[in-house]
Parts: sequence; C-alpha cells; structure tokens
Amino acid sequence: MGYHRILLTVNGTKEQVDVPSNMTLLRMLREKLALTGTKNGCAAGECGACTVMMNGEPVNSCMVLAAECDGAEIITVEGLAKDHQLDPIQEMMMEAGGVQCGFCTPGILITARALLNRNPNPNDAEIREALVGNLCRCTGYFRIIDAVKKAAHAEAR
Amino acid sequence: MAPKTSDNPIAPVGDSVTRLDARAKVTGSATYADDFQFGPGLLHARALRSPHPMALIKKIDTSEAETIPGVKGIVTGKDFDGMMGLYLADRYILCRDRVRYVGDPVAVVAADTVEIAEEAVKKIKVEYEVLPPVLDPEEGIKPTATVVHPDLGNYTYPNFIFPEPGTNIANRFKVRKGDVDEGFKKCAAIVERKYKVPHIQHVPIEPHVSVAKWDEDGHVTLWTSSQSPFAQRNMIAKALHVSQGSIEVIAPYVGGGFGSKAGVSMENLAVVVASKVKGRPVKLVLTREEEFYASFCRQGLVAQYKMGCDKDGNLIAVDNKYFWDAGAYTEYGVNITRASGYSSTGPYRVPNVRVDSLCVYTNHPVGGPMRGFGMPEIHVGLEQCMDDLAHEIGMDPYEFRKKNCVKDGDIIVTGMKMHPTGLSKCIDEVAKAIEWGKKEQPTGPNKRRGKGMAIMWKAPAMPPNPGSSAEVKFNEDATVDVAIGGQELGQGTFTVMAQMVASALGIPYEWVRISTPIDTKFSPYEWQTVASRLTWSMGNAVRLAALDARKQIIDLVSKAWNEDPDNLDIRNGVVVSYKTEETLPLKDIVIYGIPKENFNGWMGGPIVGRGSFMPTYVTGLDKDTGQGERAVVHYTTGCQAVDLEVDLETGKLDILKAVSAFDVGKAINPELVKGQMEGGFVMGMSTGYFEAMRLKGGVMQNPSFVDYRIATSTDVPQKVESIIVEVAQDDGPWGARGIGEHSMVPTVPAIANAIFDAIKIRVGDPPFSAEKVFLAMVDAGIVK
Amino acid sequence: MNNSHPALPEFEYLIPASLNEASQFLASHATEARPFMGGTDCLVRMRDGLLPMKTMVDVKPLEGMKDIKFDAAKGLTIGAAVPMNTVARHPDVRKHYPLLAQAAETVASYQLRSRATICGNICNASPAGDTIGACLTMGGVLTVHGVGGFRQEPLSKFFLGPGKTVLIPGDIVTAITLPLLPNKSAGKYRKLGRNTLSDLSIVGVTVFGYVDTTAASGFRFRLALASVAPVPFVPVKAEEILAGKAITAETIQEAGQAAMDAVTPIDDVRGSARYRKYMVRNLLIETVTEVWKQLAR
Repeated sequence: MGYHRILLTVNGTKEQVDVPSNMTLLRMLREKLALTGTKNGCAAGECGACTVMMNGEPVNSCMVLAAECDGAEIITVEGLAKDHQLDPIQEMMMEAGGVQCGFCTPGILITARALLNRNPNPNDAEIREALVGNLCRCTGYFRIIDAVKKAAHAEAR
Repeated sequence: MAPKTSDNPIAPVGDSVTRLDARAKVTGSATYADDFQFGPGLLHARALRSPHPMALIKKIDTSEAETIPGVKGIVTGKDFDGMMGLYLADRYILCRDRVRYVGDPVAVVAADTVEIAEEAVKKIKVEYEVLPPVLDPEEGIKPTATVVHPDLGNYTYPNFIFPEPGTNIANRFKVRKGDVDEGFKKCAAIVERKYKVPHIQHVPIEPHVSVAKWDEDGHVTLWTSSQSPFAQRNMIAKALHVSQGSIEVIAPYVGGGFGSKAGVSMENLAVVVASKVKGRPVKLVLTREEEFYASFCRQGLVAQYKMGCDKDGNLIAVDNKYFWDAGAYTEYGVNITRASGYSSTGPYRVPNVRVDSLCVYTNHPVGGPMRGFGMPEIHVGLEQCMDDLAHEIGMDPYEFRKKNCVKDGDIIVTGMKMHPTGLSKCIDEVAKAIEWGKKEQPTGPNKRRGKGMAIMWKAPAMPPNPGSSAEVKFNEDATVDVAIGGQELGQGTFTVMAQMVASALGIPYEWVRISTPIDTKFSPYEWQTVASRLTWSMGNAVRLAALDARKQIIDLVSKAWNEDPDNLDIRNGVVVSYKTEETLPLKDIVIYGIPKENFNGWMGGPIVGRGSFMPTYVTGLDKDTGQGERAVVHYTTGCQAVDLEVDLETGKLDILKAVSAFDVGKAINPELVKGQMEGGFVMGMSTGYFEAMRLKGGVMQNPSFVDYRIATSTDVPQKVESIIVEVAQDDGPWGARGIGEHSMVPTVPAIANAIFDAIKIRVGDPPFSAEKVFLAMVDAGIVK
Repeated sequence: MNNSHPALPEFEYLIPASLNEASQFLASHATEARPFMGGTDCLVRMRDGLLPMKTMVDVKPLEGMKDIKFDAAKGLTIGAAVPMNTVARHPDVRKHYPLLAQAAETVASYQLRSRATICGNICNASPAGDTIGACLTMGGVLTVHGVGGFRQEPLSKFFLGPGKTVLIPGDIVTAITLPLLPNKSAGKYRKLGRNTLSDLSIVGVTVFGYVDTTAASGFRFRLALASVAPVPFVPVKAEEILAGKAITAETIQEAGQAAMDAVTPIDDVRGSARYRKYMVRNLLIETVTEVWKQLAR
C-alpha cells in the first residue's frame, strides 16, 4: 500500500508526515503527531469525539483521509489556547460545568469554536443544532449549551 | 472557643468549586488509557469472537494464523483454566469447551498492527456444534431449555447468592413477608401488570481500552480504562493463580463508565495475550460495534406485578416476579437479582410482600452493572402500577405516594428499619415545582399534554464488607497529594475528595491534588467505583485520613508550644493557637518537623495521614424470606416529574418541563450534584425514548450509533430543575450519600405516567418510540 | 454478526490528473475502484466490510468540481465536490433554491456536512437520501463524465434501486444543474427521524409547489418520498389530485391518503411499514398545507 508525503499546518505548526493511503486524519494526529487530545469514539462519523477544524470548518477526522490533507490547516483542541491563555469557549466550559468525563469535550470545543466563528450570537436552537453531531453521555448537554452562550457573551464584550 | 474546622462543614465542603480536572480536560491534556505512549514496541490485539449464541467448541486451529508475518502471539482458552467472577465465578477468560453468546471471546491475537491482528483472527478456524439457544428468561426456566451452565454446581460463590444447579437459575432472591394472599383479600383495588424492559447499553463515549505487559519476572502491568483497578487485579490474579501483588493496574481518567468498566469484561484478554509476548505491551481496544454487542450490557427484565390497596389507598400487598434475562454469564448479574429483590417493592411501606427475583442464564450478551443496578428496570413497572392503583381507588397519584412512601422508622421490605430520609420532602418539592394538579394547555391543536411523576430508592449494592482507604501526604510547600483507589469517571469524585481534605485539614482547596492515575501498587485499596458509594465510603476514608494528618500536626505543635491541643486549630494552611494567637505555617512543619528550643534537636517528621472505612453492620438475609436486620447500608431516595406533550400526528414526545429532587444527605459540591441529576435525567429520558438492544436469535441487530440512538443536544428539554434535599446520612462524611445512579431511575416511569395523563392509555414497554406511541393511539381509536 | 474492521482496510489513494484519466482508470478497474467524494458514506461501508475497494480515486480537486454558480438564464450549477454546508449557506441557493438549502441542513451533523456533497448523496442512491427529493422535484439534471466524454442524466430517470443508478464504470458525476424555477414557488422537506435532528429518515417528504395556470387547481405540486420504497418515490396519483382539483383541506387530505395507499414500505430497524404509511399521509398533508399557505400569499 502506497505512502503519501503530506505537508500541512497543525495548530499553527508546519508538519511533514508520511501517511499510508488508508490512514485517517484522526489516526495521523494521534499516532504520528502524538496529539492525543482528539479522541476516537466510533470511527464512523457518528459521535463527534474526533472533531477537528480543517480549513476553518469542523470535520469528523475519522472520516477524512490524512492523504487528502496536503496543504490543509488543521486545528485541534490543543491549538485553541494561545500562549497558555485559554480560549473563551474553554474558560466557559469549565465555568458552566460542561465537563464531566471530558471525553466528548475536545470535539465539542472545536464544534463550538467554529459555530462562534461563523455566528457570534447564536440562539438556543442554533447552538443545539450545531452541537447535534457531538454526543455526550454524561452532562445532558445543558451546561455545554450554557457554556457556548456564555462564551458568545464574553466575546461580544 | 471558636469552632474547629473539623467540626463543621465549612468551606469548601458545601461550595460549588470548579472541578480540579476541568482545565486538563478542556485543553486536551487529560490522559485517558488510549493516550499513553508506548513507543514502537507496542503490539496490537484483536479478539476472535463467537458467531453463535450457544455452541460447543469442537476444535480450534490457529496454525494458519500463526504463519502471518507480524503475528507475535495467539492465545486460546486451553492455556487458562482459571474461572472468574465478581460474585459467582462462572466465566473462563477465554472459552474452553463452549461459547455462550454472540461475541464470546474464543482467541486473542497480538500482532505488529491492528490490521495484521485482524487478518490473523479471520484465519483462525473454529469448529462449532451449534446448540439451541435460550433467548428468553421465562423460557429459560422451563425444564426443556438448554442448560447454559451445566457445571453451575461446581462454581464458587459467596453465601448470599443461591444458584440452582442443573437449571438456568443462577440466583433466586425470595421475599416472604406477612401474608400476601390474605392481604389481597382485604384490598379494594388490585392492579396486575406485566412489563418487558429491553436490554440497553451503557454507551460511554470512550470505548474500552486495555494495554497489558507481562514481564519475564512475572510482573504484569495493565493500563486500562477502569472503574475497578483493585477488583480487576484481584479477579485476574485469582484466575491466573498468582499473587495480587504481582499484577499492577494503572487506571487514568475514564471517558465515561456507567458500570461498563467495572468488574472484568475485556481487560483479562489483553493480559492473557501479553503472556505470549513477554515484555512487550499489547493494546486491545474495543470497536464501537463491540462496545454495543460484546461488552457488559444492562440485562433485560420480564416483570410481573400485582399490588393492592384498601379503600383509603393504603398499600396492603405486593406480589412481584422478576425474571432477569441475565445473559451468558451472571458473575456480576446475580447481585442485580438480589438487589432488585431486597428493594423489590420500591420506596413504599407494604406489610405483605411476596417476591421472587430470578437471575436466568440466557444466550444473550452478558448483563453487567449499569447505572441503577436493577432499579431503573424494576421501577419502570412499579411506578406505572402505583399510578394505575391510585387511579383505581380514585386517588391523586401524588397523594397516593405521599401516603405510602417510606418514612423514617418504617419497616421496609426486608424487615429493616428505614433511616431518616427526605423522600416525602422530595415528592413535595417536585409537586410544587411542576405545579402538580394544574392542568396545562397544549401548545397546539395536534398536541395532548400531561404530567407524570415517579419516585425511587436505591441502596449501594455491594458485598457486606466493601472497603475504602486513603492516604494524605504533604509536599514541602504543604500542598497535599491524596492517594485513593477510587476513580474519576466524570462524576466529580476527585473534586469532592479534594474539598473534603481541604475542609477536614484546614487548608485551601487549591493546595489539594488527587494522585492519578490510580496505581494498585501505590494507591490504597478501594473496592470499586460503583454503586454511588465513593462520596460516602471513600469520603469517610479520605476525611479520616485528613483528620489523622491533622491530629499528628496538632499533637506535634501542642508538644512544641506546650499547649492543650484543644486550643489549637489549622486554618488556611496555618496552625493557630486560640489561646496565645501564635501561628505556624504548615509548610514549616509537615516535612521537616519542628526544631526544639535553641535547635537542640528536632521533633516530628514527615506527616502522612491515613484513613480507612468499611461498613460493619450489614447483616445477612434469610434465604427463604429475604428478611434480616440490616439488608443495606442506606438508601438514597428521590422523585422526578415531567410535563410533556404527545404529538397526535407523529406520536413524538416533547418534554416541556422536568423536575428532579433527591435526598443526597449533604451536597459536598451542589453544582456537581446537579450535574449528576441533569445527566441522569437525560440518560433516563434517552432510554425511555430510543434505547433497546434489538436481539434476534441472540444477534444484536443495531450495534452502532446509526441504529442505537441516544439523546442528542436537540432532544433534551430546556432544562431540568434540580432540587437538592438534605437529610443527613448518619455515617456519611458531613452527612453525605450518593447520587450518581439515582437520577436515571424514575425517569422512564415518570414519562410513561405523563403519557398516560396526556392520552389516557398505556403505550406498552419502553422505549416509547414515536411509532409505538402513535400506533397505540391508532389502536385505541384516539387518532385515525 | 457484526464484522466491522477496527480500522479502514488497505486501499490506494489516487489523485488523477484529469477527468479523462479518472474515467479511464475507473472503467478499467471497474469492480475495485470508485470515485471518492466526501467519504461519509463509502468510508463507513468500507470499514463495515461492505465495500471492498482497492483504489479510491479522489476527483474532488478536478476542474469545476468545487464551483457553484447561478446563472440568471440557465439556473444553478453545483460542482459535485461542493460540501453541503457550502451549498446551504450560498446566497444564491438561499435566495433562489431555498428548498435545497433547507433539505441539506437536515443531513446528519454540521461536521458531516463539511464533507458530504449533494452529488455524493445522489450517487449513493439511498432511498433515505435527504437532498434527493429537493433535486428531483426541482428538475435536477446531472452532468456526468464517462469514458465517452460528458453527458446529461436527468434525475427523474437516474435511480434503479437501493444503491443502484444508471451510472456505469468510468462515470464521474461532475455537477448537478437545477433549472430556473417558476416565478412563484415554495418548497419544504419534512424529515421524521427518531431524534429531533441528525438521524436518518424514517420517512422524508419533499414538497415543491408552484403557481401553474395550466393546472386545473392553479398549482402544481412535485412530491418525493424518502425511505418508503427502493428508490425515491414519486406519488403520482397524489400529484394529480393536487393538480386537478381546487386546493382545499379536503383535497390535501385526499392527496395524503393517495400517497399512503401508493407506498409499500418495508419493516426495518428504524420503523415499521404500518407506521411509515401513516407518516407518509400525515406528513404529506402537513407539508403540502404549509407550502400551499406560502404560495397562496
């Protein structure tokens, strides 16, 4: 099976990686770049635990081939904070109590960050709709939704 | 004299401090079991699983698989004769002479990559002789059924489990209290119902993952996502005939447990395959599909209820039968049968009770400990029957529950005296918050609206002597590392333990760290992280460890200052004398001791506090009557109600308002308690709306997220109003008891009762899919 | 028994230099290569062992595949590789073809829609495909590049069965064109899943209506039903009723009943045939009523 040399930017850092044809972006991040913040929940594009930003849009990284990512810009949960300063969505997720086991959290943060990037003032229904592809079994979603509202409010100031 | 920090629940106990693991989790730096880096030596494993629900193994041929380049080791059951089980040891690590469910592991392969391991698994040839499977518990107890465990008579089990060899009954719990037949004669109303509760799955977002390394010197290391590092070590050691001390289980943050990662389910598979590749770590990860069909599930239940009351609405008699579809192995499930037996009436005072709770072997996936441990399953029917009985007698279901619910001092189903409980208060708070009695207007012409409530109780289901222990040790700057054996699954255990240490010791919350991962070599013993027991049990141990450290410090300083220890206290990390107002920061003492006068020697040394807790008062229960002085340590009780609408066009349900109240004794961290109440409600709601393992011929038809649906962000109501009631637990730290499981117990029947209030019919067994509700309305003539 | 792989099976990933090269390769490797678009269907099926492929041919970067263009004379042309999110928020789509935007937004999740494509949804030919009904009722035509060059395939003749279309090895769909719509039109896709959002449809109802003075009722309603037949189903009798009589609550009811009578869905893990038939009726009535209210304004 062939290997592909890809050049891409991950969390602002240029990376060169040799990947087999069938390696997903998720596996590449976790196994080749040791970025284990992004999680494997189902490998089928259903649970959202593997969500990363690719060229500005959230994708299920288990459903993207690494080989397709030549020239791509990827942001994972590890890339949300800048110079140890947490992103407002991370601060508010802590403050609102939207984290319990934390396994869905990285994917949720990316989805939420992307939502606020394209819609700085989402209403309740828009937040729920944006998060529908991120499954959480612990929190019941209430405090996650609340965190997104709080982050939107914090950023508006 | 000012009150001492140790006497009162002062901060941070009772405060909603931010979780201490939150920052690690939101930055992606929290380590879970699949995140450990093992380097290029890591091997990968896959299991060969039975495609048949019941079959004899005639032959296993691994020869072709062994020749595949990259395959490093293959194990089968012939190499491991030890039996395993938390209660009843009925399970080999790998099947030896037969398979008992679709997914039963027959062999494990370790290889350079997971793809090679999978290729090798496909090349292992197994000859099966298929036998007729048992697919229903009522069928399973008939004499014509295949006996799933012919050797049941040879298994070991504790003295509170009663298997019936030669049958498929792995355990039977009987309650015989009063005279049920006479009681029914006195009843003005009797309700008889049958409910079937389907199998469901835990669905943690993190799949099971274990990495095992078996060194040449016999030391085994197991890194695993685990609720039970010590229990896993114990069971695996016993099955391998080695000392517990030779196995080290390392357990980091868990990405959701709900019971699925308690006991042993797949961890032993990694260990045994590691024995073939001495010194190399081998990782086994379950696919999401295996999570659905090949790991612990929540067993199915067929339940018959009969209950009656007099003309004033007093419950007189309950006669229930619970047939548990417990699956292929009941090593854990036998205790679910027992727990549902000793709590079988629900939280009610009933003088006459006859209950048979039977744990039945079937060739279905293995029933294990899922959140609620039998309570959600039995309350589905119990709470609908209570509503129906109230209606029969013309009583408001709220009034009926107020009248009959257990109160302090009541003699409950096992003859135990009920301890102080806030159940009545929970019912009142919920009724008030949901505006019980107020008929709400539907939001549209094609909607029907109704309210329903349900109450619950649950005791931690454990052996009588499950222990907790803890150590508190200091760093030079007087920050503290707390060593415990209980796990952070998301419920907030680490945070709450840190709060307790801070409060009992008298130091800031920020100074406390919990040592993670749990490592059985260094962490003190903890039975398991299950049963909603840690806040109470491990909290006691942690509090005692902190008080032990505190006493050592106070004693030392009282000697150094020549003062009565009663005049001394520790506040905010500083020892203070209330008499002389002298102070001494902890950082000067806790490692280095205190110099004598003029530095003429030293006193003290490194302070290490230790604490231990184990309940000592649980008694046995009579085998034939289920009666005994103290069946359980305590009950957490609570109530939920929903205000929902039924859509007449589609049958869809929409919860407009939800309210919960639980008596937690003392909320150590109120927002975390509410987090449990919210999350549990949604899990309960999800099981009520969507969830069922569809088993056909023993094969799960929906082993993926595509067709096993759980609640998403768009399915949950605006909020769940969560009310904390506090009636102190006499032996709980600051009065606390557990909440983790209880919040999903009454949800399904509360929804069912609300549906009944809205459309005046019962729609059948859960899940209450839109289709089920709609077709029930068609069949009842409510819609065309 | 479930046989899903733990990881994707081995295959080659190939970026062809041109459409011609791609079509040639696909034609000469007919059973073992396929065009790779969003991957949200085929990667799942490959992991489930249902789609053994030796080569995935990534046609997304080829010419025109990522273009989306509205021409006031010709209509809307969407390149096959344009993700659904891009389609749904495109100002020309939202203005001129709002039904397509609305239907696209019911698919799965935002993350999946960053990758899934309209043409991919069509070529996958699942009877549950959410955007198929909108494209069908609005007269969509596919541009296909095969070994013989470009050709057009109208959607009305495209579907042969579940997962089966008129495409042959070597064919690559490069775009879908929706013609200019009648002046006064309105549409809605009503999807019923188990969850409020994100599920596959138990039943999906697409209604595209427009003012048409040649119809006795003054309106024409194009209807398409998802998940009730081996292919996207057009309830012709229901359409005729809505064209032939004055639109009243009774007419709509009659059309709903006709659709219910016409479908023969199956029982599957998502829903029973019995329930699906009722839902076809109820949801068709609901959706036609809603669309008609918009038209009648």
